[in-house]
Amino acid sequence: MSRKTFWGGVHPNDQKEFSRDVPYQVYLPKGEMVFPLNQHIGKPAKPVVQKGDAVLAGQLIAEADGFVSANIVSSCSGTVKDIKPRRTVMGTMALSIIIDNDGQFTPVQGIGAKTDYTTLSGQEILARIKAAGIVGLGGAGFPTHVKLAPKNASEIKYVIANGAECEPYITCDDQLMRTYAEEIVTGLKIMLTLFPKAEGVILIEQNKPEAIEAMQKACSAKANVRVLAVPVKYPQGGERSIISVVAGRELKLGMLPADAGCVVDNVSTVRAVYRAVCESEPLMEKGFTVSGDAVAHPCNLMIRIGTSCRELVEEAAGGIKEGMEAKKVLCGGPMMGIAMAGLDVPVNKSNNALTVLGEDEVELAEPEMTSCLRCGRCNQVCPLGLTPQMMAVAAERKNYERYEKKLYGLECIACGSCTYICPAKRPLMQLFKQTKAEIMAAKRK
Amino acid sequence: MSRLYNISSSPHVRNRLTTGIVMYGVILSLMPATVFGVYHYGFHAFLVIAVSVFSAVLTEFIFNYIAKKPNTIKDGSAAVTGLLLALCLPANVPLYIPYLGSLFAILFVKAFFGGLGHNFMNPALAGRCFLLISFSGAVTNFQVDGVSSATPLTDLAAGRVVNITDMFLTGTNGVIGSSVAALALGGLILWVAGGITFEIPVAVLVSFAAFIALFGGQGFDPLFIAAHLCGGGIVMGALFMATDPVTSPVTSAGKLLFGILVGVLSGVFRVFGSSTDSVSYAIIISNMAVPLIDEISIPTPFGYRSSAAGKAKNSKKLPIAAVALCAITLIAGVCLSGVYQMTKTKIEEQQMAANAASYQKVCPDAVEFSDDTDIRAAVEALGGEIYGTTFGKAYINNVVVGKDASGNVAGYVVSVTSGDGFEGNITLSVGIATDGTVNGIEFTELNETAGMGMLCGEDDFKNQFSGIQTDQFILNKAGGSTAENEIDTVSGASTSSGAVVNAVNAALDFYAANIK
Repeated sequence: MSRKTFWGGVHPNDQKEFSRDVPYQVYLPKGEMVFPLNQHIGKPAKPVVQKGDAVLAGQLIAEADGFVSANIVSSCSGTVKDIKPRRTVMGTMALSIIIDNDGQFTPVQGIGAKTDYTTLSGQEILARIKAAGIVGLGGAGFPTHVKLAPKNASEIKYVIANGAECEPYITCDDQLMRTYAEEIVTGLKIMLTLFPKAEGVILIEQNKPEAIEAMQKACSAKANVRVLAVPVKYPQGGERSIISVVAGRELKLGMLPADAGCVVDNVSTVRAVYRAVCESEPLMEKGFTVSGDAVAHPCNLMIRIGTSCRELVEEAAGGIKEGMEAKKVLCGGPMMGIAMAGLDVPVNKSNNALTVLGEDEVELAEPEMTSCLRCGRCNQVCPLGLTPQMMAVAAERKNYERYEKKLYGLECIACGSCTYICPAKRPLMQLFKQTKAEIMAAKRK
Repeated sequence: MSRLYNISSSPHVRNRLTTGIVMYGVILSLMPATVFGVYHYGFHAFLVIAVSVFSAVLTEFIFNYIAKKPNTIKDGSAAVTGLLLALCLPANVPLYIPYLGSLFAILFVKAFFGGLGHNFMNPALAGRCFLLISFSGAVTNFQVDGVSSATPLTDLAAGRVVNITDMFLTGTNGVIGSSVAALALGGLILWVAGGITFEIPVAVLVSFAAFIALFGGQGFDPLFIAAHLCGGGIVMGALFMATDPVTSPVTSAGKLLFGILVGVLSGVFRVFGSSTDSVSYAIIISNMAVPLIDEISIPTPFGYRSSAAGKAKNSKKLPIAAVALCAITLIAGVCLSGVYQMTKTKIEEQQMAANAASYQKVCPDAVEFSDDTDIRAAVEALGGEIYGTTFGKAYINNVVVGKDASGNVAGYVVSVTSGDGFEGNITLSVGIATDGTVNGIEFTELNETAGMGMLCGEDDFKNQFSGIQTDQFILNKAGGSTAENEIDTVSGASTSSGAVVNAVNAALDFYAANIK
C-alpha cells in the first residue's frame, strides 16, 4: 500500500550546503539558562525547585502535571536564580525557571548507568522515557511517553523514525544520523518492543546519501528495521505525508497517527529514547543547526536545552558574517520557522535550528504583490489537496462556514507551500493561520 | 536594546515567480506567432500589434490614474491583453480598430470589474467580440497583399478543399496570429516553462476534434478534422485564451471540465453557426460558467478520500458533474444537429424554390427548365474546383436550359458562386440568351454587409448587366461608366461588387466554352 511520494509539495532551494558536512561540536553554555515550563504540548510542568536551590545537570526541576505533560530537567549545574515569566521563542511570555549556570555541568548521580533494554518491561521503558522528560524533538513537542502508549498498541504496524528533514538549511538530523546511527537504530528497536506487530522504518530524503548509507549499515544486522529513502520534496517530513508514503493511509483532522497504525517520531527523539533507556540520561542536550547566509560559521551543535539563542549565534557560530547584517532570524527553517524579534530567548526542547538571514524575502516580495491571478498553483502544491485559492476568498469574506465545511480549511497543516509558490505573493499562510485561530476561538465560546 | 529583526508569518522564502514573470512569459511565448504574423502579413500587422498593445497599456494607466489606484501596468497583464487581441485581428484593419478593441477590453471588461484577477471573461476575446459586433466588416475582411479573399474556414464551411499544410505553417489567410505552427511552438514553450498546465489545451482540442468527428458531417476523416483544428483560432484559443488563469477554473478537474465545455461549444458554433468566431464566443461563454465549474470541482482533500465515506463521495462527486456537463452539451449538440437535419430538407426545398424563381426571373421567356446531359457532364468535369484562373474563387454550380412553350430553347441559366464575398459566399443565377446576351442576374445567396455589399442585390446594380452582350464585364471602381460592359461598383463595396462581376464573367466564359 505504500506510495513513492505524497501528492503536491514544492521544491524550495534546500540551502543545506551551508552546514551539511559540518560535524557536531559540543557547545557548553556560559550564561544563565532558562527553562520555560511549557516546552511541550499539554499542561505546563509544575516546578519542584525554589529560588535559591542548588541544582545539578540532569536534576528534575519541574514535573509533569497531568497525563499530557512532561518533566523538565536542568541541563546545567548551578543555582535557581528565579522562577518568573520570560519571553520564549514563540514571542510569548511563559513562566520559566532561570538557573545561574556555574559552568561545571556537574551531573546528578546515576547518569550514564548502562542498561540492557531487553531486560526491561514495556512499562519500565515508558517510565524511563517519562522520567527523562522526552517530547517530540522535531517541533511538535508532544510528550513521547504518551505517544508511545496508544490504546491500540497491538494494532500498530509501523514505527517510523522521521529523518526526512525537509526544511531548508537544517542539517542537524542529517549529521545525527551519520554520527549516531547505531543509537538511533537501537532507540527504534526499544520503541518496537512496545508494539509487537510493528515494523521499524527510518524515512530519509534522498538528498542525504551519507545518512542513508550510515543508517542502512546500522540496520543491516538487525531484524525488522529498514531504511526508506524518499524523493526530495517539501513537506516530506510532515506527519501526514510520511504516513501516506509509508502506510498508504491518509490522516484527517482529529485522527492520530495511531489510527492509521503508525507511530512517528523524529530521529532525534528516537535517539533521546535510547539515551534515556540505555544510558540513564534525561533530556538535557539535542542536535541543533545554526545556519543561514548571514552567519559566520554555519554549524551543527550538540547543545544544552535552555541555552540562549544569542549565545548560539554569537559564540557558537561566530556571530554575524563580516560585512553582513542580519535582517531576519528564524527559529527553525524558512518554511515553517518562527521569525524572532530578538535573540534573548532560550532554546527549548522542540527547537532544532536557528536560521539567520541577510535578506528578508518576504519584505522583498511585498512590492510584487498583485491580486490573485487564480492560476491555481497553490491548489497544485497543497499536500492535503486543499484549495488555498478558494480558502483565501472565503477567509477574506469571513465566510467561515464555507471555509470550514466546504473547503476543509481547518485541515491546513500550515506547511506554507501555497504561499511559497504564489506568483501574486499573497500572504496566504498568514490569512489561514489567523482564520483558523478565529474559528477555533469561536468554537471554544 | 539590540536591534529587532523582521517579523512575519512563515514561510519566509518565496518562489522567484511573480505575476510579472507569468505575464511576460505569456508575451514571450506569443513571440513566434507575432514575429511570423509580421513577417507574413507585412508592416501593417506590426502597426496593428503596436497600437493594440499601446492602447491596452495606456487605458490601464489612465484608468488607474483617474481611479487613484496603484499603477499596475508593469505587471504586464495589459500588454498581454493587447497582444492577444492584435493577434486575433486581420492584418489590414484600420488602426482605430485595435485601439478601440483594447480600450474596450481593458476599460469595460477588466478595469470596471476590479482589474487584474477580477475580470469575469477574457478581456482580449471580449474586445474581439465587441469588434466583431460593432465593426463586423473590417474585422472579418481578410486580405493578403491587398487582395481580399475567403479564409480557409469559409472554404471549409462551403465544403471545398483546403490546403492543411498551408494552414498549419503559414495560416494562409486569416488573423495576424494564424500560424498554427508558431502558436503551437509558443504553447509548448509555455507548457514546458510551467506557465500553463496541460488540462485545458488538451481538453479543448480533444473534445473539439471529437465533436467535429461526430457532428462535422464528414465522419471520422482525419484530414477534415485536422483542417478544422488548424483553422478558426481553435489552437490560439486552446493554448492562450482558454488558459487565461483569471477566467479559467482553479482546480485540475475544473480545468478539464472547462476545456471540454470550450471544445464542445466551439464545435457547436463551428458546425451549426458562424464559423470564424466560434472559438471566441465559446470561450467567453465558458468563462461565465467558471464560478459554477469551480464550485462543483472542489477536490476532496487528503484524509477524506480513502475513508469509506470519502470514497463514495469522491467517486460520485466529480464524475456526476462531469457527466452532467458532457451530457448537457451532448444533448444540446444532438438537438441542434437534429434540428439541422430536420430543417435541412425544408431548407433545400426552399432553396430549390428560390432557385427556380430566380431562373424564371433571369430567363423570363422560358416556361420550363431542364437539364442538358452534355452541359451537366461539362459542369461535373469541373469537379467542384475553382473555375478558370481569372475569376477569383468562382465556382460553376449548375446550368439549366430554359425552354419556351413550344419546346424551343429560350436561354440558359448558369448558377455560379463566388467565394470572394466580403462576408463569405455569393451565389447568383446568370440568365444568358441563346445569342449570348445577358438577360439578367439574380442572387440566391447574398450575406454581405448591410447598406454596403448588400446593395449588390438592388436593381440599380443588377440591371447594369441586363441586355448586354459581351465576353467580359469590367468593374469600374470610380463609377460613371460609359462603356456598355462597364459595371459601376456599389459605393464602398468594391469587394462584393468585384466578386459579382467575376462570377458573371465566369458564367459567360463557361457559356462560351461549353454551350454556345
